[in-house]
Amino acid sequence: MNQGTDGTIQLTNLVKRFGDHTAVDHITMDIPSGEFFSMLGPSGCGKTTTLRMIAGFEQPDSGTILLNGRNMEHEPPHKRPVNTVFQNYALFPHLNVFDNVAFGLRRGKLSKQEINRRTSEALDLVMLGEFGDRRPSELSGGQQQRVALARALVLKPAGLLLDEPLGALDAKLRRQLQIELKALQEQVGITFIYVTHDQDEALTMSDRIAVMNEGQVEQMGTPSEIYEAPETAFVADFLGASNLMDATGHGDDGRGRCRVEVGGHELIAALGNSSATGGRKVTIRPERVKLEKPDAPSDAENRVSGRVQRSIYIGSAFQLIVELELGCTIEVEIQNTGDQKRFAVGEEVRAVLPPEALRVLRNRNEPREAAAPAADDTTSTAAADRGVASGGTPPRARQAGA
Amino acid sequence: MSAVAEETRKPDTAARLLHRVRALVSNPHGRPRALMTITWIYMVWTILPVLIAILFSFNDGRSISVWQGFDATRWYWGDPVNSVWQDPGLQSALWQSLKLAGLDMLIATPLGVLLALGLARWRGYGSRPANFLMLFPLITPEIVMGVSLYLVFQYVYVFVEPSTTAQVLGQVTFSISYVVIVVRGRLLSIGRQYEEAAADLGATPAQCLRLVLLPLMLPAILASTMIVFAISIDNFVIAQWLSCGAGCDTVPIKVYTATRSAPLPSINAVAAIMVYLTLAAVVLAYVVYRFLTRGERAKGQGQSEFAQMGSIDFN
Repeated sequence: MNQGTDGTIQLTNLVKRFGDHTAVDHITMDIPSGEFFSMLGPSGCGKTTTLRMIAGFEQPDSGTILLNGRNMEHEPPHKRPVNTVFQNYALFPHLNVFDNVAFGLRRGKLSKQEINRRTSEALDLVMLGEFGDRRPSELSGGQQQRVALARALVLKPAGLLLDEPLGALDAKLRRQLQIELKALQEQVGITFIYVTHDQDEALTMSDRIAVMNEGQVEQMGTPSEIYEAPETAFVADFLGASNLMDATGHGDDGRGRCRVEVGGHELIAALGNSSATGGRKVTIRPERVKLEKPDAPSDAENRVSGRVQRSIYIGSAFQLIVELELGCTIEVEIQNTGDQKRFAVGEEVRAVLPPEALRVLRNRNEPREAAAPAADDTTSTAAADRGVASGGTPPRARQAGA
Repeated sequence: MSAVAEETRKPDTAARLLHRVRALVSNPHGRPRALMTITWIYMVWTILPVLIAILFSFNDGRSISVWQGFDATRWYWGDPVNSVWQDPGLQSALWQSLKLAGLDMLIATPLGVLLALGLARWRGYGSRPANFLMLFPLITPEIVMGVSLYLVFQYVYVFVEPSTTAQVLGQVTFSISYVVIVVRGRLLSIGRQYEEAAADLGATPAQCLRLVLLPLMLPAILASTMIVFAISIDNFVIAQWLSCGAGCDTVPIKVYTATRSAPLPSINAVAAIMVYLTLAAVVLAYVVYRFLTRGERAKGQGQSEFAQMGSIDFN
């Protein structure tokens, strides 16, 4: 019954409120067939609620869900062409592994041989062919996880929804299963929607990632886009280490780069919106900052002097905390090549923040540069209101919202 | 030389002795002796009266307080007039008690399970008051319950005469709360995840109930059945208020009236029979439970599950 060949999942302006709290705030996602799509965000960002709405366990307050192009508004969970791998697996404790996996097949009109064949196939797929007559309680966490996967995959759903499926496993097993899971997804070609708060998981497995925060999508893109070109401070901070600095934008420098003022110094940022003005955040990854001796001859742009506050040896690299004259402290990572310059704690240094590594970030509720759709007035107005309330939104963002 | 050794050893021995004594009372690694003592005192205290009552059902005389020798059968069926088997009053009381308990069990358990399902899965306005109301029969004094039921049947539901029917209705009203509380506790502790998983895999709500929820609720259902049987078979107040007279007398009513006139050990015998029956019911429930979950257990797990059967979760 849960058979689908198409596998597209489209969410349009989904909203879900619990009392006064808006768990999911106008989320729009268009997931093509066969994609490994991740929703990444901290707990409480609305990713699990979104997943539960797709599965049918929660009713959206507004917005539409299309699975295989079909509107799911009045479909109960047992009629939807998606299956879920639950966070705690939810394997039926009173059934053995085989019966757990066959549970869904037996709800349809299949012959007994067909059920047995497909169940065995699914168990072989997750390498648990020998474990059919075991109880879930007799399996290890990783094995239980695979049973849950087989139980959902055996129905050949249009989409597989995974709710932090590796969350309960230890780090080593998790890394191993990440690889297996990705291989499995490529093998079966089913659309995966994967919910996680673990950035490594999302980056290693996904075709595309939606980074979520406070019920909204902060940024959506491929893993490299998200990591290399974070649009907002939240995304930059959530994925990998980032140095965030408060800045004021002064627009284009005539060469397509943005002039930003940080702590009274003017820096040039080549990444992000070059015409940005007003209060902004700029960011640079620790590994992109260069450190020099203060007396070294240099004509590099964005030179800032500072002092080493702390130096941490982490084997493959040195991590330095440097207090800049800009009034902020940044983290610098220097690869341990064996012949790199050493900097002692307390030493005066010169930090170079190369323009081609310095990025101007979008304020959280400002529309995207690529002409964000103005269709939804309520979001942007609400967004602007929130921005004012938090006191951080510059005039330009407010105008954009109005 | 030895004197010195003696002297150094003396305080050592004293300290060790003191340590020993203290360890008896408060050794964190030892057996919890104080708790064990209290537990045993409590067990003996509760079981002793029952054992004495049963013992006197084997008395070879007409006294229920003076031991006159052992006779295994006299008050059960040996005595041609006064034994339980020969006395029509006792026999009918026993039969009435069993009938009430059996019917109560058969009616209150399914109703209570359905109510528990409704209450546990009812999200939204009204669920809290409804859950609280379920506790009412438990906290209302039984005598108040009995009198009110009597008045209700007397003046409101006048079509129900004081009779076995009224007694059953009264006991069901009273005992259904126990079922609800035990089963609801189990439902809350297993959570919604299995239901959601079943629905996700294509099970209709009815299949979900039959294939997932019922098997998972089974221990709680059996436990509540046992509780209903136990509180119903020795119910006095409600059975008395809704009684139709001698024909509706239950064992407790019979025992009560007998002890006010001239009690015979046959009263002990009939009471002892109730104890045997209750024990048999517990054993039966255990066997049924083992049978129904025979495949489910990982080795050595079933015992503890059964022990948890009656545990109540007041979430």
